[in-house]
Amino acid sequence: MTGDELTGWHEDLAAPGPGPHDVDLDRVWLGVAAQVWRRSPGPVERAAARLLRSPGLARALMTTPSLLLGWVIATTIVLLAGMGIALGTGTPWVGLLAPAVAAAGIAYAYGPGIDPAWELSRSMAVSDRMVLLVRALAVFGLNAALGLAASAASGAAAAVTFGWLVPMTAVCALALATATVTQSPNIGVAAGSTGWLIALLTGKAVDGQFTAAITSAAFVIPYLALAACCGAVVMVATRIPRGTR
Amino acid sequence: MNVELTELHRKFGHVRAVAGVSLQAGPGVFGLLGPNGAGKTSLLRMMATVLPPTSGKLYLLDRDPGSYGPRREIRRRLGYLPQNLGYYPGFTVADFVEYFALLKDMPPRQVPRAVAAAIEHLGMGDKARAKLRTLSGGMLRRAGIAQAIVNEPELLLLDEPTAGLDPEQRVSFRALLRDFGQRSTVIVSTHLVEDVAAACTEVMLMDAGRIVFHGTPAELIARGEGHSVGDAPLERGYSAVLAAARS
Repeated sequence: MTGDELTGWHEDLAAPGPGPHDVDLDRVWLGVAAQVWRRSPGPVERAAARLLRSPGLARALMTTPSLLLGWVIATTIVLLAGMGIALGTGTPWVGLLAPAVAAAGIAYAYGPGIDPAWELSRSMAVSDRMVLLVRALAVFGLNAALGLAASAASGAAAAVTFGWLVPMTAVCALALATATVTQSPNIGVAAGSTGWLIALLTGKAVDGQFTAAITSAAFVIPYLALAACCGAVVMVATRIPRGTR
Repeated sequence: MNVELTELHRKFGHVRAVAGVSLQAGPGVFGLLGPNGAGKTSLLRMMATVLPPTSGKLYLLDRDPGSYGPRREIRRRLGYLPQNLGYYPGFTVADFVEYFALLKDMPPRQVPRAVAAAIEHLGMGDKARAKLRTLSGGMLRRAGIAQAIVNEPELLLLDEPTAGLDPEQRVSFRALLRDFGQRSTVIVSTHLVEDVAAACTEVMLMDAGRIVFHGTPAELIARGEGHSVGDAPLERGYSAVLAAARS
C-alpha cells in the first residue's frame, strides 16, 4: 500500500457514509438475541405445525395439560392396572376404565382454570375453538391408542377391544360439552364419569353384566346420538357472537 | 378511526357493567380512569374481542369483530394485556412472548426477531431465558407487556399495566406508551393518575358503566379547580368530575 493509498484510507474512515462506523449495534444485537433466544420446536411440534398448517396451533397443542408427560404416564398406569386385573380376573377392565380416563383428559384439554393464559388466548388470531378442537382430538386419539394397546394386550376378544371406542366417544363428548358450557373441567369430569357409570349400570340392568355397555349393539345408536348432541353443544358454546354491529 | 363504539352495553345477569359507551379513537394514548367496578375492564375486554357486547355497535380497525374473517384480522393487529395475566410457569420469557406471537399468526420467520425486539424494548434482555415462575410481579407484568407489543399492534389495550412496576420502570414504560401512541391507538386502564398525566393525550373517566368525562389531561385538571378533594391537580379533577356525575 502506497503512502497516497494510506492517506486515502484514512480519509475514507473519517468521511461520513456507509462503513464500519455506521453499524447499528442495537440491530446487530437483536439479530444475535433472536438466534440465541430462539426455541427449537421438537419433532412432534414440527410435524403438528406441518399437519395443521399453523405453528401457533401446533404450539397450543403442545401445551395441552392432558398431553403433558405426567398426565400421559398417569393414564398409562391406570390402563396398565386395568390390563393386569383383566388378565387376572377375565373381566375387561381396560374397556371399562378407558372411557372415563379419556373423558377426564378431554375435560382438562382447554379452558379457564386449566390454561393459565386462557383470557389472553381468547384475544388471539388462532381461534380458541380451533385450539379446543385440535386439543380434544389429540387427547382422544392418544387415549384411544393407549386403550387399544392395553385392551389388546389383556387378551380381550375383538368385540370388547374395539367395543368401547363408541361409548368412549359419547362419554368424551359429554365431558367436553359440560366442561365447555360450565367452563369447569371438574364438572366436565364429573359429568363424563357419571354418564359412563349410568351406562354401565344400565348395561347391568338390561343384560345382567356391566360389559353390556361395551358389547351390546343396542347401545350404539344412543351413544352416537349423545355424541352428536354434545358436539353440537360444543360448537354453539364456542361460536363467534354475532350482532355486534 | 381505529376504535368506534356506539351505545355499547354489557350486562352480567342483572348487573350492568357497561351502560351505553360511545367512543371514537384514532392514534394516541388514551387513559381510562375510574373507580373499581366502573366498567373499565369490561370495556377493554370487549375491545379485545374477548367479551361480546350485549348490545351496541363495535368496530375495530375498520372491521366488524362479529364475523370470523375480520375478527381474525383485528386480532392479528391487536395487543392486549389483561388485568390478570395468566402465565405458564415453565415457560421462559422468550417462550412466553414467542407463544403469543405465534398465536397472533405472525409469519414464523419474523417471530424470533420480533420476540427479541419486544423483550429488549421492555429491558428484559437479561431475563429472556429465565422461567416465568422465578420472576417478580413487576417482571411478569413486563413480560405481559412484551407479548402485547410483539406484533407492533395498531390497537394496544393495557389493563393496569403499571401495577407492580417500580418508579424507574414506570418512567420507561410511559416513554414506550408515547412511542406507540404516535402510530397506534393505545388505551390504558389505570388507577394511577400520574401515568395519565405523563403519557396520555386524552383521558376518559368512567363511572357506573358510563364515560362521564372525555378530554385532555389539562381539561380534567381544569375541572378540579376549586375542588378540595385530592392531592394532585389531576386527582382533584378526577374527584370533581366523579362528584358531579354522582350528584
